Amino acid sequence: MFFLSPKPNGIAIKKIYPKVFFSETKYTNFNFPQLTMPKVRFVFLLSAVFCLLVSCNPVYQAATVKYNGYKIMNMRTDSSVQNFLKPYSDSMNSSMNVVLATLETDLEKRQPECTLGNFMADAIFAMAEKKYGEKPDAAFMNFGGIRLPSVSAGLITRGKIYELFPFDNILLLVKIKGDVLQQFLNHISARGGWPVAGMTMQIKNKKAVNVIIGGVPVDMNKEYKIAIGDYTANGGDDAAMLKGLPQINNGYLMRDALIDYATALKKINVQLEKRVSNAE
Amino acid sequence: MLSRKQFIKQSAFTAGALLTSQWALSETEATAKRLVILHTNDVHSRLDPFPMDGSRNQGLGGVAARAQLIADIRAKEEHVLLLDAGDIFQGTPYFNLYKGEPEIKAMSKMGYDACTMGNHDFDAGLENFATQLNHASFPVLLCNYDFNGTAMESKYVPYKVFKKGKLKIGVTGVGIEMNGLVPDNLTGGTKYLNPTERLNETAELLRKQKDCDMVICLSHLGYQYKENPNKVCDTILAKESEGVDLIIGGHTHTFMNEPLVVKNRNGSDVLINQAGWAGINLGRLDFEFLPGKRKNLSKSHTLVVRKNSL
Repeated sequence: MFFLSPKPNGIAIKKIYPKVFFSETKYTNFNFPQLTMPKVRFVFLLSAVFCLLVSCNPVYQAATVKYNGYKIMNMRTDSSVQNFLKPYSDSMNSSMNVVLATLETDLEKRQPECTLGNFMADAIFAMAEKKYGEKPDAAFMNFGGIRLPSVSAGLITRGKIYELFPFDNILLLVKIKGDVLQQFLNHISARGGWPVAGMTMQIKNKKAVNVIIGGVPVDMNKEYKIAIGDYTANGGDDAAMLKGLPQINNGYLMRDALIDYATALKKINVQLEKRVSNAE
Repeated sequence: MLSRKQFIKQSAFTAGALLTSQWALSETEATAKRLVILHTNDVHSRLDPFPMDGSRNQGLGGVAARAQLIADIRAKEEHVLLLDAGDIFQGTPYFNLYKGEPEIKAMSKMGYDACTMGNHDFDAGLENFATQLNHASFPVLLCNYDFNGTAMESKYVPYKVFKKGKLKIGVTGVGIEMNGLVPDNLTGGTKYLNPTERLNETAELLRKQKDCDMVICLSHLGYQYKENPNKVCDTILAKESEGVDLIIGGHTHTFMNEPLVVKNRNGSDVLINQAGWAGINLGRLDFEFLPGKRKNLSKSHTLVVRKNSL
């Protein structure tokens, strides 16, 4: 591209005059040391070549941006990617397309209370009693753990439950004193309300009020047993007040609780019941 | 003999003329100054499109359709960067059964250029993520996770410089605070570092030492938090950043009709964009570059933002 190779030039210039080409000093301010004219001329020739080389790689700055996204429709698909996926999906579908139950109502994910959340909290509440042999006082489902925005009425498969709750979280029984429970309820109130079973509450100024557990107001000094996932019980979703509380753990997965509960029910019908509501 | 002043004048003129011819040459190479950025985030193991069950997203997404769309765009555009902002894993039984292998393989087939790590990429343990990256043909970029002594130590880089024609594009990534979000037993000893500080240090390095014309940050910090307005998020990161042009976001599953423009601490424009979740959307930003002066880079500059008719 150029008649001189770049490297020796760059080095030569740097050696004689490092500041000239690497500072923003104006040309007229240069203070040439004792150099003979041919040497100066040579230096300048080198400098011109160096400038040229540098100019091959000018600085660019983003000036305009045009935005637009695509919605991925399935009009055209890449067959090689489709073929790559097929063995994975065939094997997956054989185990996941098993029908567990019929869903009679559409389920939605909403706050402060939702049908999808009530279904999940009910499942945890019922299955904890069955698996641990004692009825918990209340059950909780972390809102962020609901991984589908909605589930349409119709047949509900094992795979759908995996999509709804994909995590390998363990269903625990946790012993908690009333005052700490109140802190936890305040935490979920500040987050807009989480699904619950076995209790009702209202949210006022990001705090839980009118808390009723087992038909009576929460007692700050009583020890309760709650059914909850290990993720939240170990401080997940910033539920730090639950960390270190006594846990009973038999390794039963929350997802299996949902599957077993749906299978046992056969027909699932969930309504909103003002379990958690915003105070007027 | 020429006087010193005359000599300088003459030489400067010659050099100037040579420079101008070089500029003219590069001006004609219009393709060198265009860059198309395609991006996804929070795909969450959605390898298949949503099933046709009457739900909101039925028929949308899936890697086979995305791969075709990307191939079509690459056939038309010379310079494309395909990026992902994390949470590749978790959400369909594919992940429960295969632990992320088909997700990473599909991204390699689509020719992803880089990704960052989301909190759910820890879900089967840090070691599993590192293992699945054996199937990746693209780097994982993170500048604010300290992976020293972990399974990820040799599986990530803090940044990568992509040469696209005459453009040098520096790409880095920031991950979210794991405490209170990722169970301790899954983080594998990863340490979280201040994302704003680390990003600014990385951007300065990319600008000054790597001569990048543009710096992109893949972020899994989340767009913003209404209930916790002081929690670090993309809008705060953008405001406190320096030398960053674009933040490709994730974590909050935010669908944006248009990118947000935020002024950084020098008053320069930073663009934030996020493409929802589940691979329902593919984000696209077409950047055009003009030659600038290096010494002007610290001055504030604005970006003209328009809607593209695709």
